[in-house]
Amino acid sequence: MSEALHESPDQKADPESRDAALEVRDLDFYYGEKQALKSISMDFRKQSVTAMIGPSGCGKSTLLRIFNRMYDLYPGQKATGSVMFDGANILDPALDLNTLRSRIGMVFQKPTPFPMSIYDNIAFGVRLHEKLSRHEMDARVEDVLTRVALWKEVRDRLREPASGMSGGQQQRLCIARSIATRPEVLLLDEPTSALDPISTARIEELLDELKRDFTIAIVTHNMQQAARCADQVAFFYLGTLIEMDSADRMFTNPRQKQTQDYITGRFG
Amino acid sequence: MSRMKDTGRTMGQGWRKGPRATRRLVTDRLATALSLGATALLVIALASILWTLLRNGIAGLSIAALIHPMGPPGTNGGLANAIVGSVIQTVVALLIATPIGLGCGVFLSEFGRGSRFATSVRFVSDVLLSAPSILIGLFVYLVLVAPFGHFSGLAGSVALAILAVPIIVRTTEDMLRLVPVAMREAGAALGAAHWRVVLFLCLRSAAPGVLTGILLALARVSGETAPLLFTSLGNQNWSFSLDRPMASLPIAIYQYAGASYDDWVRLAWTGALLVTLGVLGINIIVRFGFRKKQS
Repeated sequence: MSEALHESPDQKADPESRDAALEVRDLDFYYGEKQALKSISMDFRKQSVTAMIGPSGCGKSTLLRIFNRMYDLYPGQKATGSVMFDGANILDPALDLNTLRSRIGMVFQKPTPFPMSIYDNIAFGVRLHEKLSRHEMDARVEDVLTRVALWKEVRDRLREPASGMSGGQQQRLCIARSIATRPEVLLLDEPTSALDPISTARIEELLDELKRDFTIAIVTHNMQQAARCADQVAFFYLGTLIEMDSADRMFTNPRQKQTQDYITGRFG
Repeated sequence: MSRMKDTGRTMGQGWRKGPRATRRLVTDRLATALSLGATALLVIALASILWTLLRNGIAGLSIAALIHPMGPPGTNGGLANAIVGSVIQTVVALLIATPIGLGCGVFLSEFGRGSRFATSVRFVSDVLLSAPSILIGLFVYLVLVAPFGHFSGLAGSVALAILAVPIIVRTTEDMLRLVPVAMREAGAALGAAHWRVVLFLCLRSAAPGVLTGILLALARVSGETAPLLFTSLGNQNWSFSLDRPMASLPIAIYQYAGASYDDWVRLAWTGALLVTLGVLGINIIVRFGFRKKQS
């Protein structure tokens, strides 16, 4: 199924590319003078989980933060090349960032509950983009909390501050908050690295559910996690995409020696 | 206290306390004694001030002192107009200072970070923080008293506000800086504009600290005398108009403490006690009222 991707990510005539939610082409990224990503080209397929692995500082988080233009918050950071999303180049300076970010959601390493109630944490993002009646908002909150398997745990304390939840619950709330604006793509930047194993397992299960509706890009340091949840895996090293393939093939029979060395724990 | 406790292990010759260990022990004890002594001195000074205030202030503390306005010696005058004047002037001062200080603190932390303008504003604000309060009184006299030809409660409030602003600026900026970057990014990642992130996420999460700063500013200015001398002047009678000279506790203390009438002196002590209790009350609210919420 993913055979076409094996050949060359540069192949423009790739028949699978119609299926791609994000098409990255010749992407370079700079922190000031320092180049952090070198000529990256890859596709993120719809309704699937793409994991990005690689040692610290290899540029995988940087890549993720390009997709919702997070780097715009910081002067001196610059991206060139193109990332096509729904017919538009994400890097286009004229793009409306707030709309882009409502369509490409992001969940961070550490849970970041807002200083408000559980209900308002979810309503906050929704209110930015849609005018919903009280009833519709209630329904939306229940819907997303159910999808992250949090509804039963918090239905009786929706009005209580989100800071009172456990770390794992907070992270699931953050995922709920991100999908509440109904994005097409969900970016996850090491979403479980601050969580205990049980919370981690729950979030991994969740990814399987969520990929039916969203294109998911996840950065992880955890090789088992990539093997468990991802359909495609991309290995980055020193700002370069070394190899991208189906998860099965990456972990059983990678083509590049560097990939082999990394996944077998020889470095990184 | 000793770090040289016997651990129960058998120690070789090399582990025995030698002259060097003894010297360290002596130095340690000496340093501890010195810092304890310094602390004791401070606590004694504070306690004796409070004790003197209580002893002398309680004597004049009566219902009459709280409900009668100031009056000539021997007429059973009180401090009511000074208390009310102080409350009016500090509240008005805070109403002026809070929006300015908040706005400025938000600018320094969220919008002007790293810019040369912000650096200069921060520097000026810090200088203002330690400016002699009498200078601020004189400044307001030149701007708001002399041109109008009369003293006014409003001028007093403005002088107090100028003292309060840099305190609010500093605490607001410091508290906003404590808001984790992750929270700002999470807000932006949902598609919230910068001002929304600042207003609804950063300020809300910094709110207890910011409020603490405002209350500390209130505590700081409520005992100020010098800026009021040239601005609201003081008033022996009731005055509720910000356009007229207005009484205040610090000025009443200033007038009465040096007087040769016993009842005036007694009222000065009472006034001092009231100001101190007020400031103490605010500090206690800050300490215990907000600590719980912050944790």
